[in-house]
Amino acid sequence: MATEGTAIPAVRRRAKPRWLEGFLVQGGALIVAFLLSLLIGAIIIMLLGESPLAVYSSIVTFAFRDADSFGQVLTIATPLIFSALAVAVCFKGGLFNIGVEGQYLVGMVTATWAALKLDFLPGPLLVIAVLIFAMLGGMAFAGIAGALKVKTGAHEVVTTIMLNGIAVSFLGWALNGPLKFTEEGVATDLRSDKFLDNALIPNIGSWFGIRSSADLSLLLPLAIVCAGLVWFLFKRMRLGYEARAVGSSPGSARAGGISIGAVQMKLFLISGALAGLVGMQQLLVDKGALVQNYEAQLGFTGIAVAFLGQNNPVGIVFAAIFWGVLSRGETALQIDTDVPREFMIVLQGIFIMTVVIVYQVTRRWAARRQLAREGDVERFDDSEAEIDESRGEQASGGGLIGGGG
Amino acid sequence: MNDADEAGRASASPLVVLDGITKRFPGVVANDDVSLELRAGEVHALIGENGAGKSTLMRVLYGMYPADAGRIVLRGQEQRIASPRDAIANGIGMVHQHFVLVDPFTVTENVILGDEDGPILDTEAAEAKVADLAASYGFTIDPGATVEDLSVGEEQRVEILKALYRGVEILILDEPTAVLTPAETQDLFENLRRLIADGKSIVFISHKLDEVLEIADRITVLRRGAVVGETTPDRTDKRQLAEMMVGRPVLFRLDKPESHLGDTVLRVDDLRGGRLKGLSLEVRAGEIVGVAGVEGNGQRELAEAIMGLGTIEGGSVSLGGSDLSGESTQEIRNAGVAFIPEDRHEQGLVLNMTLWENAVLGRHDDDDFSGVGGFLFIKRIKELASRLVERFDVRARSIDVTAGTLSGGNQQKLILARELETAPKLLVAAQPTRGLDVGAIEFVWRQILEQKAEGRGVLLISAELDEIYALSDRIVTLYEGRITGEFAPDAPADEVGRGMLGDVAAVES
Repeated sequence: MATEGTAIPAVRRRAKPRWLEGFLVQGGALIVAFLLSLLIGAIIIMLLGESPLAVYSSIVTFAFRDADSFGQVLTIATPLIFSALAVAVCFKGGLFNIGVEGQYLVGMVTATWAALKLDFLPGPLLVIAVLIFAMLGGMAFAGIAGALKVKTGAHEVVTTIMLNGIAVSFLGWALNGPLKFTEEGVATDLRSDKFLDNALIPNIGSWFGIRSSADLSLLLPLAIVCAGLVWFLFKRMRLGYEARAVGSSPGSARAGGISIGAVQMKLFLISGALAGLVGMQQLLVDKGALVQNYEAQLGFTGIAVAFLGQNNPVGIVFAAIFWGVLSRGETALQIDTDVPREFMIVLQGIFIMTVVIVYQVTRRWAARRQLAREGDVERFDDSEAEIDESRGEQASGGGLIGGGG
Repeated sequence: MNDADEAGRASASPLVVLDGITKRFPGVVANDDVSLELRAGEVHALIGENGAGKSTLMRVLYGMYPADAGRIVLRGQEQRIASPRDAIANGIGMVHQHFVLVDPFTVTENVILGDEDGPILDTEAAEAKVADLAASYGFTIDPGATVEDLSVGEEQRVEILKALYRGVEILILDEPTAVLTPAETQDLFENLRRLIADGKSIVFISHKLDEVLEIADRITVLRRGAVVGETTPDRTDKRQLAEMMVGRPVLFRLDKPESHLGDTVLRVDDLRGGRLKGLSLEVRAGEIVGVAGVEGNGQRELAEAIMGLGTIEGGSVSLGGSDLSGESTQEIRNAGVAFIPEDRHEQGLVLNMTLWENAVLGRHDDDDFSGVGGFLFIKRIKELASRLVERFDVRARSIDVTAGTLSGGNQQKLILARELETAPKLLVAAQPTRGLDVGAIEFVWRQILEQKAEGRGVLLISAELDEIYALSDRIVTLYEGRITGEFAPDAPADEVGRGMLGDVAAVES
């Protein structure tokens, strides 16, 4: 124990602003991870026979050279914010929602249905209805995974992956059936009819002097508001509190009277609602119609962005923008350098891995430091032992006494 | 002093000398110039409160931590032990408090893991080898059994076998009896005596004084990272050891407040499901009923059934006359039942959440702490936490630290504070002092007695007979999911013991 004896006063509140300390540690970790990734990337660029400096400066200038460029970065970031938030909401409660991909495809189908069939709604009511239907579609589809998890114990990773496949087929079916192209002429691709203008999301590029082809829309502020709501949910609301308890210690949560199933179901529904909005940039800004598109993979990218933002809503907004910079970099590489555009995918991978690793190392270090500071040697020992033992297991394939063998 | 007694052993040079070991962690000196001698063929007990530095010292010897100062002399020669691998090569093995076994593997597979003879496994030969080894030390264990089917005591034997298989001469046991029942402890001691007879030496880390006095040849007491004394069992007693450990006199029997029995608070009737095979008992207001029994006879299931955490197949649980069976945990808590779980990490606290977040767990939906819209009243929750932490003297730097940073005793205090704050009608206390040191045990016991004095009912479920005797107004024994006997608090221990083993011919009432 930090025992009766040691010179620790019984609770001194606000000894030091802990949030500031945490912020510095996290920020430091991020900078280290960032520099490390750039370094690894630089080595690869050099192996490709190019100058790292030239490549990096091309990526940066291309993203930030003018308002239009940055507008496009933000446009790429917008759906990723929704997607990563959807992943993070589940993750906080210990659930791994791999199904954002499928949930957003279903959301696009239900939104399209609303846009085409509810076109009698006047003015902004139509677009609001479309967004609501997008969320309902995502919720319904996420709800299937949630119900299977809660009622049968089927693991959400398995069910959501399977449901993703169903969603792709569902979208294909919808475009061949209820949402089939009925306009004059021939569509070159599999698509629905064009939506009315008042089903579309207003472009806000002009507010910032960004040309409208950058497609910056009201969805960006909506995404940021959603990030704020998610932050509020986990910091200030009962459900968020319960979710964190369930995610960290299901047994203690249950003994505390929390219904784990109810919490998980609610998280899936919230996650699904956010996922439903992922496809709206494409549907209601870029295209104005539902177009079959298997390649976007916004749901999976959202997992990466959530990781990069450490499942923190604020972190996610910045991670999504950062992702936008990297994605724009693909074009930069093609214009300015001989490095193949696929390098950006490699660089994205490097960033995720480095961030995950550096954060993990930092977390252990911080936990140890905190434990040691509480003057609690015994507990400290335990956590050390666990780390040591798991290392031992990795090293010797199942460590006995400590990790030698 | 009494050199004649020890002349025989002391004449040989010590097997291990730890000389002036100092180990610092950021902000803490875990070991401060600690010296210790282990002689060949002895059981050397290392005792002290949690945090006294016992485990740290032994982890230095086992190569898990480098010492900041001091040296290790092994069989007369100074030795650098840089890793557990080095330690094992030098004949030093350690069995940790938390076992590291692969559950789906057999005993043999676990024992040889990491020390296999070549790439192709000859399971039969290995099994024979392990069986021989076990037999030579009188370990009863089936080498072909799967570890997940073993009892805790048997798993511990596997851990010890793992060390012996690697030819270890010096065995460090970290709190080996913390997870054992009294009977299993006796089995372990029997095994240890065989090991000693065979010339092995043992370091026995513990804070259970009766056991130390029973098994140890010599005892070293640590307090706050320093050695405060060395003695032998015949020169000391429990009270003196406790005082050395804690640094002040400790009471072992608290005065029980007089009982004023009220109405029946808890009535458990013919409860069935899982290990429970028709269990009935009653607790009245102002009464502590102690459920004694060897673990695994339904203790956990009983507590969980009352709290609405398990599935009940038959029978009923009622509180003050109203039926609780089938109600949710939340409703049961709201009805006035408080719960100290046997595993505070698994069912008590969320370790990576803050003290204030933990302080409100289970009451977070009270109108005081969250509103209709589902918003938390954080200021009020923090006020509650500060109040609890102060009243129960939880030692922490602030209420914003995570619960995982607290010592076991302080974690338990936090749980007690939270559970007792609601003025419950009934307290279900399962193994409430497990893993705590003497000082913390005294604190917890006082709190439980306080509940009784306040006229609340307490169901105490404990594997420690000492604890049952110290607190109970009435003792019932639990065996194979049934109550097998009821005893007065002054009934002889062997009668209660018979009840614990299901000898129903005892004083069934």
